[in-house]
Amino acid sequence: MVNQGVPQETVILILMLPIVATIIAFGRQVIGIRGFGIYTPLIITFAFLATGLKYGLAIFIVILLVGTLMRFLVRYIRLLYLPRMAIVLTAVALAILAIFLEGAYSGRKGLIASSIFAVLIMITLVEKFVVVQIERGAREAIILTIETLFLSIICYWVAASVWLRNLVFIYPFWIIFGAVIINILLGKWTGLRLFEYWRFREVIKRVDLPEKK
Amino acid sequence: MNMLAFLKKSKYVLGLNARNLNYLRPSNSLRAIRIADNKLLTKKILRKASLPVLQNYGLIRQIKELKEFDWSTLPSTFTLKPNCGLGGQGILVVYGRKKKFPYPWIKADGRPVNIKDLENHILNILEGTFSLTSLPDIAFFEERIKLLKLFKPYVYRGIPDIRIIIYNSVPVMAQLRLPTKESSGRANLHQGGIGVGIDLGTGITTTAIHRGRLIEYVPGARLLLKGLQIPEWKEILKLAIQAQIVSRLNFLGVDIAIDREKGLIISELNARPGLSIQIANLSPLADRLLRVKGLKIKNPLKGAKISQDLFGGEVEETLEEVSGKKVIGINEPIEIPDRQSGKYPTMAKIDTGAYRTTISTNLARQLGLNEAMRYKKVRGALGLEERPIIEFSFILDKKLVSTEAFIADRSQLKYDIIVGRKDLKQFLVDPSKNIFMSQRVLEKVKEKRGIK
Repeated sequence: MVNQGVPQETVILILMLPIVATIIAFGRQVIGIRGFGIYTPLIITFAFLATGLKYGLAIFIVILLVGTLMRFLVRYIRLLYLPRMAIVLTAVALAILAIFLEGAYSGRKGLIASSIFAVLIMITLVEKFVVVQIERGAREAIILTIETLFLSIICYWVAASVWLRNLVFIYPFWIIFGAVIINILLGKWTGLRLFEYWRFREVIKRVDLPEKK
Repeated sequence: MNMLAFLKKSKYVLGLNARNLNYLRPSNSLRAIRIADNKLLTKKILRKASLPVLQNYGLIRQIKELKEFDWSTLPSTFTLKPNCGLGGQGILVVYGRKKKFPYPWIKADGRPVNIKDLENHILNILEGTFSLTSLPDIAFFEERIKLLKLFKPYVYRGIPDIRIIIYNSVPVMAQLRLPTKESSGRANLHQGGIGVGIDLGTGITTTAIHRGRLIEYVPGARLLLKGLQIPEWKEILKLAIQAQIVSRLNFLGVDIAIDREKGLIISELNARPGLSIQIANLSPLADRLLRVKGLKIKNPLKGAKISQDLFGGEVEETLEEVSGKKVIGINEPIEIPDRQSGKYPTMAKIDTGAYRTTISTNLARQLGLNEAMRYKKVRGALGLEERPIIEFSFILDKKLVSTEAFIADRSQLKYDIIVGRKDLKQFLVDPSKNIFMSQRVLEKVKEKRGIK
């Protein structure tokens, strides 16, 4: 396939997808990191891969801050949901434009060259964050955002490791097969999540084990 | 505590994975879950089975219906809800109406609401802003529950409800959910409401959590959360079981509210009940679910009975509750406060055959208590004898008892002190309890009595 002109990077990224998805599933089922479902951390991971972690994080944080700020500003004018969200998105887009402007004048090559598609995807994620803020409250939204970010950074490190990239390229079948097997096991996993041991610690401490005679 | 025991014990706790895989999917058909997620449909089905639900004042499905809505049909107090809302989101509670033009309604926080605000809120609901799936939703007006006087001091605006988790027609765990200022009148725990565990046997509250942490008092008030008797407990259990049978969800959380005038009302069915109820009750669910699995329950009364018998607290506690007296055994660890504000721990024999408490000469001397107040003649097996009486206090089962006790030579006897019936008025004595005290049992009793 690579010989026929499909870029090697493309193949590797596509093959990385099952691995990243598996890590996210593992994080949810075994560790208990909730994040925003599977799509958001996945897409942030790939956006980071396209922009680099430093700029990716910077853009991400700016998007969050501006999005949240705008939400509070727009709240005072009574507007319906979609137009309101469009205004928030506009503000975020302007902020990103400002970042690029700053990058251009201070000569940050890495920033200017970063894939515009990745940045666009991150901008659209603002809706997700705003919805969570509305639905679950600011406190929960912050926790979920941190969890998502944490998960994405872990996935970024895994997907960016040269060793794994080579492995994926050489043994694509085994990687996919392995991912499916692991996910079947994860899907059948009924044990407590790691965080639940902490959450239910007081209950667990008070369990009376049946005494053996 | 060692790690291995911790892991072993953790098997008794129900986690999200096990809830979803072992209980939600095998027990609950998709159709039934869809009903529980839809408040209007739930009410319709419950009403059909003549179970008590809240009255609807009107519903709005489309923008067109909103334009044609006759606002004068609304009473001065009501709630506005999204049909498929998640976790109490998007619910607007209206408490009353101003008597002056333009007759605005009053919200929970005292701020006025006019028709324009209501329209806006309804538009947001119709757009699906608050719905589970962000799909277009239906808005409806519902009668507002009037708060029971009993709950008034415990609640910050809003209505407490009783969440009962039912599996296989047997209530397995219950909690009282109290709205707080933080949760802005909603009873949902993750919004900041308080969860109070309820003993299934009696309907008396036990332990409580707020934001995942154990608490004893209502935040900001010296009001104990423990020991509150929920009225009509047995009826509540039966009603919850009836709702479960009608819903055809085998694993279900039923929310029941109590109206000041109308009594019990089923406020909501929840196909995915939260698991922090385990923390509020300080007891694990997985074990209880396994014990109920496979039972054949013929009617709601039977289910309620089984639940009360299986999961209610020990009878002893209820006896203590009823009589207001503690149940103690034959041998009890006690503590005697000495002059230096220290405490001397020892074992006492509880002897209802003796009128007065007797303490050994040696121990009295050791504690500096040997100043006799007076003397009294006693007729015993050994004939007439005069014994000195001293005054002191001891702590038995966390209660301070002041006594006038005899001093006697007990050097040949096992116990330095026997407690007579004159000092046992606050207690009930169970002669089958604590007869033989092995070291292990003693440790357990001491822990329970709060003695180190």
